Amino acid sequence: MATKSIGQEYLKGLWDENPVFRQLLGMCPTLAVTGTVITGMAMALATTFVLIFSSLVVSSIKKLIPSQVRIATYIVVIASFVTIADQFLKAYFYSISEALGPYVPLIVVNCIILGRQEAFSSKNSVGRSLIDALGMSSGFVLALFVLSAIRELLGAGTFLGYQVMGPWFKPWIIMILPAGAFITLGVLLGIALLIESKTKRSQ
Amino acid sequence: MELAAIFISAVLVQNFVLYYFLGICPFLGVSKKIDSAFSMGLAVTFVMSITAVVSWLINNLILIPFGLDYLQIVSFILVIASLVQLVEMFIRKISPPLYQALGIYLPLITTNCAIMGLALIAALNEYSFVEAVIFGFSSGIGFTLAIVLIAGIREQLDLADVPEPLKGAGIALIVAGIMALAFNGFIGMLT
Amino acid sequence: MSLSSRMIIVLTTVGLISGGFLAGVAKLTEERIALNIQAEIEEAIAEVVDNAEVNQKVYEEEDLVIYRELDEEGALAGFAVQATGVGFQDKITLMFGLDASLTKITGLTVIDQNETPGLGAKIEDWNSFLQFWENKDATGQLTLRKPAARTPEELSAAEINTITAATISSKKVLEIVNLSLEKVRQLIQEGKIAKEEQDGD
Repeated sequence: MATKSIGQEYLKGLWDENPVFRQLLGMCPTLAVTGTVITGMAMALATTFVLIFSSLVVSSIKKLIPSQVRIATYIVVIASFVTIADQFLKAYFYSISEALGPYVPLIVVNCIILGRQEAFSSKNSVGRSLIDALGMSSGFVLALFVLSAIRELLGAGTFLGYQVMGPWFKPWIIMILPAGAFITLGVLLGIALLIESKTKRSQ
Repeated sequence: MELAAIFISAVLVQNFVLYYFLGICPFLGVSKKIDSAFSMGLAVTFVMSITAVVSWLINNLILIPFGLDYLQIVSFILVIASLVQLVEMFIRKISPPLYQALGIYLPLITTNCAIMGLALIAALNEYSFVEAVIFGFSSGIGFTLAIVLIAGIREQLDLADVPEPLKGAGIALIVAGIMALAFNGFIGMLT
Repeated sequence: MSLSSRMIIVLTTVGLISGGFLAGVAKLTEERIALNIQAEIEEAIAEVVDNAEVNQKVYEEEDLVIYRELDEEGALAGFAVQATGVGFQDKITLMFGLDASLTKITGLTVIDQNETPGLGAKIEDWNSFLQFWENKDATGQLTLRKPAARTPEELSAAEINTITAATISSKKVLEIVNLSLEKVRQLIQEGKIAKEEQDGD
């Protein structure tokens, strides 16, 4: 198996193996908190924090963990960092924490994080695991950004809370509702696959 | 909140999948056939009901009295992981054919946001013991309802002419969106 | 060392380390978190009662808390009532102010709501809803004005403006306030809350 270069290791998370658009993981938070760019980004950053540190820890102690208890260990590690993120938000960004509700603790069941530990961090060096985590996180941030930008612009006419669309624009309320989240993501998935197949054909 | 209200709310008005966005992974992955969807739904309902009980006990008998609220996340997920293991072993012993049928779905339930979400939301709403049990059971029913409905639609969609890029997850999500809209009609039922 | 012992040791160690770590983090953040919760309440009170400098909790039951507000000289500035009730989608928590004589509503603000975005959620909005809550009559039942009036002046002292296309959320807020007012009046009768006599009474 050819070892990827550092660059490739990072970039795969952005597109080829984008956790949301290609691997279809981490959907719950993607749909739930992308009503505005602020909440979407807050969630993405919190998840990034958990993913990076979990990967660092798991990768560092991988030789010490007997295989039978590895999942339980990953879970404790991940849950701890999620708790830290949750406490931090409650203390320093209270209104965002309120807006995100129970979805920050839910990062612990975000398949992306557990998946990465099992598939990568437990089998690779600390350095590589860090790059992988950064790449996957970037992909996640990208996915949430696109989704929340679309939903906020079309659903409220604002971006980051600032009015962007003029008074002529009647917001598509459905975008802020769960239905809008589902439909937007479905369409984005379709577009991603379309781009993928077009680039494959032209190669 | 009265028990009937909790039930109706969890199944229809604040359906776990279509309102809370919980349980999407199995929702997309297991909903291609009605049978498997139904089995998954039952397994989830079962695990959810037990989880509701155990997480309530841990939260109200240990965590809160000792001021250990911040250990909620870690304790709940460990409880869920263990429960799923136990349920798996239990089903394997009691009914091997059922175990075969559910197969890989069981371990998947651990990372099912729905179970963890259930424990967290029940804790957030500060339900009493009975309320929590009803909530757990009803949420499972709601999940089953959503997943069976969409499996039914997807079975039909397989015969339809869906544009290539949208096949699979894409169209499933769009259909889910339309269903979510339909379920919006249930809002205000409890007035 | 047998596998089982190793498994147990690893799990216990990991558990203890993370437990200890989390306890540390919890200690560091708990004060700030408590302050944040406190600040949210105080902000809401400041929005509905003028000159509120000192908050005193005078009554508390599930879903209803009543605060006495003193101004900077220690005189009674008014009361703040925090109430939670069922909304259209989910629970609504709001705060409304009462003047010192407990006969007028001085304002209302919404602390927590999960109503339909863009529609029911407008109960948080000053222009659509909250501005119509100043100077309302707190001695009887408030009613909902439908269809919506344009300006606060068009409403009588016992009328609240509805939000167009969000009648139910508006009505829910009204119900919560009416129920709370009834409770307040009951508490006054039982002597549980002291009000200030107005000059000339």
